[in-house]
Amino acid sequence: MDERAEEPSRLIQNLAGRAIALELGSLDLCFVAALRLRSRTSETTSFSEQELVDAYRDVCALTQPEASGVARRATAAIQRLRDQRLLSRVDGAGVVRSGAYALTRLATSIVDFYLEEEALTGESLTLLLSTLHASLVELRDQARASTTSRECSDRVVGPLRVTIRDLVDGIERRQRGLDLQQERFQQEISKLLSADWFDAVARCQDLLEETTTTLRELNAVLLRDTHTLVTLLEDIRELAEDRGAPDANEACRRLSEQLERIAAWGSARQHTWSEYYQYVHRFLRDVVRLDPTRALTERLRAELGGKAGRSYSLVVATQPPLVVPREVTPPRERPPLERPRAEREKPLQEAVPDERDHALAATVQAVLAGGARTLSSVTEAAVSPLPEGERFSTAGRVAEVAARLAKVESARERPWTRADEGIWIEEWSLTPSANEK
Amino acid sequence: MTATKFVTLGDAVLDEQFPPVDLALRRGRHVDRDDAEWFGFLRDAADVLEPFYRRSGAELVYRADGYYYLLPNGDKLTKRQLGIAEMLVGQALTLLYLDPANVEQGGRVTREQVLAHLATVMGTDALIRALNPKRRKYDERVAQETVRARVADALRRLAALGFVEAVAAEEFKLRPALMRFAEPVRASADSADALSRLVASGEVAFAPAEPETEVGGGPEGDETGDGPAPNDGGDEPEPTSAEPMAALDVSVFEDFGFEDVEASTELKENDEAGVLE
Repeated sequence: MDERAEEPSRLIQNLAGRAIALELGSLDLCFVAALRLRSRTSETTSFSEQELVDAYRDVCALTQPEASGVARRATAAIQRLRDQRLLSRVDGAGVVRSGAYALTRLATSIVDFYLEEEALTGESLTLLLSTLHASLVELRDQARASTTSRECSDRVVGPLRVTIRDLVDGIERRQRGLDLQQERFQQEISKLLSADWFDAVARCQDLLEETTTTLRELNAVLLRDTHTLVTLLEDIRELAEDRGAPDANEACRRLSEQLERIAAWGSARQHTWSEYYQYVHRFLRDVVRLDPTRALTERLRAELGGKAGRSYSLVVATQPPLVVPREVTPPRERPPLERPRAEREKPLQEAVPDERDHALAATVQAVLAGGARTLSSVTEAAVSPLPEGERFSTAGRVAEVAARLAKVESARERPWTRADEGIWIEEWSLTPSANEK
Repeated sequence: MTATKFVTLGDAVLDEQFPPVDLALRRGRHVDRDDAEWFGFLRDAADVLEPFYRRSGAELVYRADGYYYLLPNGDKLTKRQLGIAEMLVGQALTLLYLDPANVEQGGRVTREQVLAHLATVMGTDALIRALNPKRRKYDERVAQETVRARVADALRRLAALGFVEAVAAEEFKLRPALMRFAEPVRASADSADALSRLVASGEVAFAPAEPETEVGGGPEGDETGDGPAPNDGGDEPEPTSAEPMAALDVSVFEDFGFEDVEASTELKENDEAGVLE
């Protein structure tokens, strides 16, 4: 597994090992939201303990006016938020005096999700992309102007990682906002039709058109600008690499991937919405407008419920698939059984007897008589007059004849000896047998 | 019809869309705007194809809901009635198509939703009786399993006919051709007149009388039915034509064709409709 694929697994294992969890009730969330709103309006970054309790009391008064023991519950709520790292103490005074507390980044992110309606619009996307474009142009100039790797790293790679990344993250966050908005629109259209049926047609069409226009604008802007931004990032990467800036490649690659993801999101959402748009329009036209009182549904329900008259079936064409017979292969005719008429036994023929064995025995006998006392010398003498092709096969027969005609002895370790060209045999010593003729 | 881009039938036949569209129509497929190329071809070629199919004993029908299909009206082109499972599932799908709650999902429903809707509208007992018509006594678990299998099979068959589109293993997209199931009740509460007209035009056929019920293979037990099943037609329609070909089961051809036709033998026994002319 490569390093990039391994990283998410390791991070997730780490999170699971730390047993992270969040348990937030509606009241706790409202409490955090109240703190967030107060910090915005009063421009304060921290709250005293009394301010926290007051905020909780106000939230309780709004959401649970009948609740008792508010101060005790506030203490418990503050502890819960601290345990879950949503609220942190920032004064560092310990027991010396009562503390000052601030919302953590986790808490602000959670409540911002509920408080902020940051859906992407044509205007906001154009603004963000133009800011991104201007920033990247500036970074490219900085990269050109820098002379050392350190300078390039400080002036280019750092901003790429922080400023530019934040801008791109902002676009992605607003995309998610738009996704939620679309989902809400789909639910709203469904609810409107369920509640008002025919009277909801105009409102449904407005909702459809609104989102369709937004998506069309967004996609057009993304298609137009993404390519330019990716090209700028590529220029910056090359310049930074020329100046030996470390990590420029990685920072540019990540941003390019993020931009391409944003562009892919645009076309994917437009495609999905287009399908939905067509379906809903067809529904409004073919179902709602043609059945303004929903009588058809009731009648069909009665039909299916068995309260209607005689049953029926729809008729459909059903031409079977074309028949394609197999290739016909005529069976092979088997010949009838019959008795062979020809004579099975072939007539005997006269043939010249093969006397080679006798000749070989005579030769071996003569060689032994001539004083040869080893198998190699007997073999060499017996096979050397023969044609080259017969020598190897004859060598074995020589050993057999020699063993028959003489007394054979061999050492425990029988040495291999050359008997002829290309013939090596295990050596025997031969003694003429007194019994042999 | 609108002006055609095909001047002669030959032009239409030479178009690359003709063979697949022709085969699909003859196999009972309904073609709507979601089949963009086929629908466009039919819209352009309708003027020349209508007389062509009429000579073959079929009517190329276009409905205002936005779909085409071929309706055999003679004996030259084979036809069949939908089985009871297909009819029940088709009507349930039509109700889901008309339900604004499904607009949120873009007209996508799951098999479980269809089953739940059928059980809600018909009642569980009636649904089981309708889809296990030959069994007077049945094991509840086996009968429910049969219902699930027959509904799944009906969905597959309806998808092949273009009433729904299978978008995932258990998910189907509802298509405009489902409105055919609502035709008999479209005009007025009293569907008898509409039904008579549709029968006369060959769009629908009355289901044959229910055959003798027989004791099924389930364990012994008391009959628990609570009245007649909806669409009180009993088992699948039997072949009704008196012609020699009528008794021929089309399923015997399925292994010989161009396609690998998957069919459950057990289900086919009950569900295969057999009207041939």
